[in-house]
Amino acid sequence: MLQREFLELSGGRQVQVHRAGQGPTVVWLHGPHGVRKNDPVIAELAKHYSVVAPVAPGFNDVDELDEIRDVHDLALHYDDVLEALKLDDVVLVGHSFGAMIAAELAAHVPKRVAQMVLISPFGLWRDDKPVADLFARPYATIDRILWRTGEPPAFVTDPANFPNDPVEKAVSIVQAMTSVAKFIWPIPDKGLRRRLHRVSAKTLVVFGADDAFVPAIYADEFAGAIRGARKAVIPDAAHMVPYEQTAKVIQLIEQHLGD
Amino acid sequence: MKFHWFHLMAYPYLPDDFKQRYPSVWVTPPAAELYDPVKGHQVYNDYLDQLEFAEQCGYDGICVNEHHQNGYGLMPSPNLMAAALARRTSKAKLVVLGNSVALYDPPTRVAEEMAMLDVISGGRLVAGFPVGTPMDTNYCYGANPVTLREKYREGVELIVRAWKERQPFAFNGKYTQLRYVNPWPTPIQTPRPPVWIPGGGSIETWEWCIKNDFVYAYLTYFGYMAGTAVIDGYWETVERLGAEPNPHRVAFLQFVGVAENDAEAERLYAEPAQYFYNRCFHIDPGFAGPPGYASIATIRKGVRSQVRDSAAQVQGKLLSWKEILDRGCVIAGSPSTIVDRLNDMADRMKVGHLMLLMHYGNMPHETVLYNTTRFAREVMPKLRHRFSEWEDKWWPKDTLPEIRKPAPIGVAAE
Repeated sequence: MLQREFLELSGGRQVQVHRAGQGPTVVWLHGPHGVRKNDPVIAELAKHYSVVAPVAPGFNDVDELDEIRDVHDLALHYDDVLEALKLDDVVLVGHSFGAMIAAELAAHVPKRVAQMVLISPFGLWRDDKPVADLFARPYATIDRILWRTGEPPAFVTDPANFPNDPVEKAVSIVQAMTSVAKFIWPIPDKGLRRRLHRVSAKTLVVFGADDAFVPAIYADEFAGAIRGARKAVIPDAAHMVPYEQTAKVIQLIEQHLGD
Repeated sequence: MKFHWFHLMAYPYLPDDFKQRYPSVWVTPPAAELYDPVKGHQVYNDYLDQLEFAEQCGYDGICVNEHHQNGYGLMPSPNLMAAALARRTSKAKLVVLGNSVALYDPPTRVAEEMAMLDVISGGRLVAGFPVGTPMDTNYCYGANPVTLREKYREGVELIVRAWKERQPFAFNGKYTQLRYVNPWPTPIQTPRPPVWIPGGGSIETWEWCIKNDFVYAYLTYFGYMAGTAVIDGYWETVERLGAEPNPHRVAFLQFVGVAENDAEAERLYAEPAQYFYNRCFHIDPGFAGPPGYASIATIRKGVRSQVRDSAAQVQGKLLSWKEILDRGCVIAGSPSTIVDRLNDMADRMKVGHLMLLMHYGNMPHETVLYNTTRFAREVMPKLRHRFSEWEDKWWPKDTLPEIRKPAPIGVAAE
């Protein structure tokens, strides 16, 4: 089961960290839904790894974003988090926004990150294959662009995972969207391409073939810009690929980390 | 009570099937496909004529505002329009509602341009600073919705300070860093022109306006019946903060159509009103609420959603003239009908500044002049006395007694 703790960072900031499982440490950097009580991907990872999952700034309280002004501050915030966790030579597995954070962290502080898996990352831009505008649609329709079926699965509808009160549920979604928007508005290209050459981590890039948010062609963009990176594009999956093809993704992660 | 003639400057040539063919009147309607600049020449000049005509009729203020990439708002630069009006008018106050401060780097540009307007006009400027709609700021100008409000407030603080300080100063802000703040010219009005804040239903804005002595101008297209909840929230905040409940600290926008009787009102105003509500007011709902634009407190309070609900009721529907009247979106009819309705509005809302939309949609020029004239002659005098027991502290006071009017300079004969 998930265990929750609060960690004090240097500089006075606080971060909420979830832990689960036993084994070699994997830092899970979550996607658009944050860290939820019954997270099937964390549960699967926890069977083989000691999973450490910090909550991204803003997801619990948007005021946390005030002094994390740009992606550089964000990368340094995560460096502080790993420092507080006393983790060097880290294994990062990031999904979506978390994958962007992983890539930024590995580019800003290459020595900190030994291995990484970027699942549905964003942070790059091609004029001919634009990333969809997640923020130019009503919140109620976001699932249509994230999930292959267009429908939220049990993970999202599970009342243990999201507040029941409609206003609080909306607040929870807005907080998450706000945290992401701060760092990718209006186009998610904040210079990552100029920095990716710095990454020394052994990297695997994973995309869902039917990702309607970040087209799977971006697998080539990321894998091409990171030295020695490999890529895997998984059929019958979209942006939420780790939840849509969990077994396949876990297998790829284990393979990559085991090699 | 004061009366201000407000222009949105709609493009009057949107195709009949606009709503079916295009997802939005704002942000994405293809300009090259829909906008004809030759027709636009006539349109702009008619619209400026109408604002100038409003001065002749005795309106206290003439209002311009800022919208971008918008088929019903052709004023990306309100300051250009106000500059044109400053030269051709001499009495009406220029209510610029206003400049979306967060879009200008550095914001001292706004301090400079507004001071120019104040000086050219002889001290007639009302300086409006909207945070700006999500469409204008976040989607058209790419401003980050998460930092927009903070950047905007910092910008307003810088502008107001730049007008007040007696010496150049350094400004080390979160969003603007300037070593030497010293804008020329300075405004005529001291310590500064009145500041009006056009707002929706954001609860932080109420407190901020009251604490900084700014007018809260509630701009809605849905009339006073739908707007009462927001204004009530504002007055509750005034009471809570112990501020003076002076009606002149609030302005409200209302569509109006004056006619001989109800039948003539329908004949004159139904089509332009339907053009506005059924054709212009067609905004992609995806642009309504970018994350971070509204505070969590505002979302929890649900104020904004009320505003959005009223917009949603109109979106996707074709409103009949009767529905437009019943909702109070437009107040139309004989002068006595309008006086009654506006008295009701004044009773309910205690609003000392009434901004009037007397042109809407594709209303013909002659109808606009007719509406403007009859309101000034037959409605305004009957409402003028409202709230006269309160001093209006938010109106230009330093206007020059003699304002230089532009005169043609003759070329000497050879």
